[in-house]
This record gives sequence, structure tokens and C-alpha cells, in this order.
Amino acid sequence: MAADSGADVHKRGLHEDSAAILIGVALVALALAIGWSGRPAEDAASRKAFPKGWPNRLAATIDKPQTWSDAPKQALVVVDKKDPTKVKPVAIPILLGMAWVVGILAAGTLLRGQSVAAVLPGACLLALLGGLAYLMAAQKVINYYNLEYPLWALLVGLVIGNTIGVGKWLEPALQGEFLIKAGLVVFGAEVLFSRLLELGLPGLLTSWVVTPIVLVVTYLFGVHWMKIPSKSLCMVISADMSVCGVSAAIATGAACKAKKEELSLAIGLSLVFTVAMMVVMPPFIQWAGIDPIVGGAWLGGTIDATGAVVAAGEMLGKNLEDKRPAEVAATVKMIQNSMIGIIAFAVAVYWAGWVDRDAAGPKTSLATEAWRRFPKFILGFIGTSIVCSWLFTASPEFALLVDGAIQGFTSRLRGWLFCVGFVCMGLQTNFRELAPTLASGRPLILYCLGQSLNLALSLAMASLTFGWLFRQGASP
Amino acid sequence: MTFPPGIAHTIPPGLRLGLAMAILAAVWLVVLPSIGRYPAVDRHVRLMESRDVNPSAMVYTELEHLPLRPAWIEHHLVLWPTGN
Repeated sequence: MAADSGADVHKRGLHEDSAAILIGVALVALALAIGWSGRPAEDAASRKAFPKGWPNRLAATIDKPQTWSDAPKQALVVVDKKDPTKVKPVAIPILLGMAWVVGILAAGTLLRGQSVAAVLPGACLLALLGGLAYLMAAQKVINYYNLEYPLWALLVGLVIGNTIGVGKWLEPALQGEFLIKAGLVVFGAEVLFSRLLELGLPGLLTSWVVTPIVLVVTYLFGVHWMKIPSKSLCMVISADMSVCGVSAAIATGAACKAKKEELSLAIGLSLVFTVAMMVVMPPFIQWAGIDPIVGGAWLGGTIDATGAVVAAGEMLGKNLEDKRPAEVAATVKMIQNSMIGIIAFAVAVYWAGWVDRDAAGPKTSLATEAWRRFPKFILGFIGTSIVCSWLFTASPEFALLVDGAIQGFTSRLRGWLFCVGFVCMGLQTNFRELAPTLASGRPLILYCLGQSLNLALSLAMASLTFGWLFRQGASP
Repeated sequence: MTFPPGIAHTIPPGLRLGLAMAILAAVWLVVLPSIGRYPAVDRHVRLMESRDVNPSAMVYTELEHLPLRPAWIEHHLVLWPTGN
């Protein structure tokens, strides 16, 4: 996202990126250390005993509002699925989740040499607004139709920013870019390279051939043929449509320094199309008589959001009384999730080296220039990803340690950081800047054309790999 | 979220926020619960609940069940061709 207030950040403390790396890495290390200190005495290497990894004590310190249907107070308890009379209150872990965000904002401010006291009141309000956005996203209809929390966090920010505006006292706490960068460094722990091999060569081909082709072709089409003025808007739309929706948009948006308005627009487009594709594709696959395994791989390769992929796979499987489409769809999407780090890194290098290069500036080597412009927090993102990937493959115990740390703590914390980051973005978003581009309808056309290419190529590749080339008993 | 300029200037900012909040509250507390009771929507929600699906998951780590390699896949696909 576009850099702001960079000059005074440099004066007294660490740069925003360095602070994000330091805090993100410290939080991942804390989660792993707490997980290791609480390692189970028995069956420590058994995936069957710990399907979600080792329990992590930090899980008690963070949660988010649960799904609710009629009354928001239902969001404050977890109801046992087997015995609905058993309920577990989660109000305190939700409050503690907000406290983590306030603490991280305060720590980031301190590391950057700025006044913590000036940030605290605004940070508390932002954390509460993040909680409100999570509460809105947890409404059952919203939740089960995959309208994810970033949309509501942006809406909350937009409503306040466009009615009463942002007071002077709130401005020091509006550090959306810092929160998203710190969230991405923490997110690196979830991007495990070994997951790429989960479906062997068919999975790799489906993800690694189609996704980069669609990403590059859509971007070039938007920039050179449709003449969309903002290259970063074309990149964010291409990435969220071809890789995995909101998470890819956030990572590539940060890598190519997209404007807040551009990221908001790309996320809005992605979520609307995700809902439509989730509802339409399963009956279409059944109607067209596409093999359920091929159909599952197609869903995984095309629907943007991970949850919506699984939901569509379950809908297809329900009609066919078959669990396999959902399992294949989820695994293909997980492989795409695992590509985010590599794609964000590649986009950051391309942007720093070629797009942002100032032709009229001083003549320096490409590498020097690229390094100067490179968004350094991406190194933290890649670093946590590499370390956790290495740990994950080092031994079965470490794999369960990493899974427990992710499921119990880092993925929840990353959610809170992104959520409050999007509230900040909503508060600062000015859609008037995008009005000419929006009015032309070109972002929508770009998304539709890119998604059409994605649908066609993914179906062709899924049919080739899952339906023919690698199918047991089928001879190519 | 922008009001036409003529109206926006006549409504005080606090009242504008109040109106926006009232609209959002009505949507979340009245409209959405009503939509949730439509048979087609209710069927979708129940199916997702019965299968432990979290459709709002942004990445795989937020799913109720980690999508590990299904047991049946190696009987169905040649994951790594050996060339034999």
C-alpha cells in the first residue's frame, strides 16, 4: 500500500517495515515456544491424537465472535455441537484479542520512536470497531455465504469516515498499513511450502501452471490493452482473482504498494463473485456431467475464497452423495494458499526493479535500485514461512507443534490484525480518487475477463490432470 | 456512502452517523435474520453446519478440518509417476 509518513518514521526509530518484522517474528516465536513448553507427554507424534496440532496455551488469550442468527449476544458463546446444553463463554478471549491489537499498535509505535500515549485512545476505539466488524461478519447468513470480515471492516470505517470523519486524536492510531504488514509476517507461519506437494504432480500442475498464466495475462491485459491507469490496481485484481481471493489481494497489494481504495475495490469484486460462483458452479458441474473429482479440482482452482471452495465442494458432494469433490477442492485451494508467499515476493521484486523505477533518477544498478524500493517486510513474511515450513517437515512432532501454534494463536491474531487494519483503511478511504476508473467499468470488465480465462484454463488443466493423464487405470 | 451534496450539508454529522448506524442495525437485526429463515437459505446454512464447513475461511488454516491428502486419492490418481 502507498507509503505514508515515511520521513518522520526514519527520524527517531525503526522503519515501519522493520517494526512489523520484529513484532511479527517475535509473536510467531512466542507461539512456538509456548506450544513447545506445553508439549504432550504421550502420543506427541500422533496426528490422530492431535488432528489440529498440539494444544497451545495462547489459544485461551484470543478468539473472535462466533456465528449468530437472531441476537448478537449469541456470538459470545461457543455451543457444543454434540451437546447443545454445554456452552463456553468467549467474551474474555474476544476482549483479549482486542487487547493484543492494542498492544501490537503500542509496541509498533514505541519501536518507531513515537508517542505511545497519543496512540492508545485511538487504538482502543479501533480494536472495538474491529470487534464490531467481526460481529457483523459472524451473522449466519453473512458467514455462510462467505462475505468475509474485511468487507465489513471497510464498511465500518467508511461509515464513520464519511459521516463524522476522523478526529485529530484518532489520527496517530490509524496505522492500517503497519497492522497489515505485521499481520502478513505472522501469516507467513501459515504458508507452508510442504503443503504444495499434498496432491502430487496433478495438484502442482493445476495450481502452478494455470495460476501464474492467469495472473500475468490478466495483469498485462489490464495494463496494455484496457489501458487501466493504475498498474497496482491491475495487479491486485489479477492476484485476488487468480490465486486465492482476499488473502492474496492483501499480500500482493502490500507488495506492489497499491492504494487503499484499490485494495478495497479488488476485495469487493472478489467477494461478490465468490458468492455467485459458490452458488452457481456446483449445479453447473452436475448439470454438465463433469467428473466429480475434476469438478472438485475446478472449484478449488477458480473460486477465490478458501471457505467458499469447501462450501461449493460440499454442495456438489451433497447432490452426488460423494465427499471426494470437497476434499479435492479444499486441497487444491490449500496448494494455491501456499503460493501466496512466492507470488508476493515475485511481485515485490518486479515492482521494485521495473515498475517503480525512476527513468529520470540517478543511474544505479538494477539490484541497488530494486533493493532500495523493495518492501522489506516481505522478507519477514517469507522468513516466517521458510522457518515454519522447515519445522513442519523436520519431524512429526514439529509438524504438530507448528499446526497447534497456527490454529491456536497465529491465524486468530492475523485475523484481528487484518480486521483492524481494514477498519483503518475504511476510515481513510476516498473513493472519489477512483471514481473515473470505476465509472468506466474497466476493473469489473478486467475481473470478468480474467475469471473467464481462469475458468477455461482451470477446467482444461483439471480435466487433463485429474481426469485423464494421472488417473489410475487410464492410459494417456 | 456519500450523500447528495445538498442533503449532506443540511444533516449534522452526528445525525448522519446515527442514521447510518440505524440502517445497519435494521439490516443486521431484522432483515438478515428474516432472510435466514427462507427455506433455501436455511437449507444451505444447515448443510454447512452439519458438515462442519466454515465458508468464511480466508485461508485453509481457518477451516474446521485441515485439508490433508485424502486417503482414497492414491487409489484414484498416480501422484508421482515413476515411469514404470
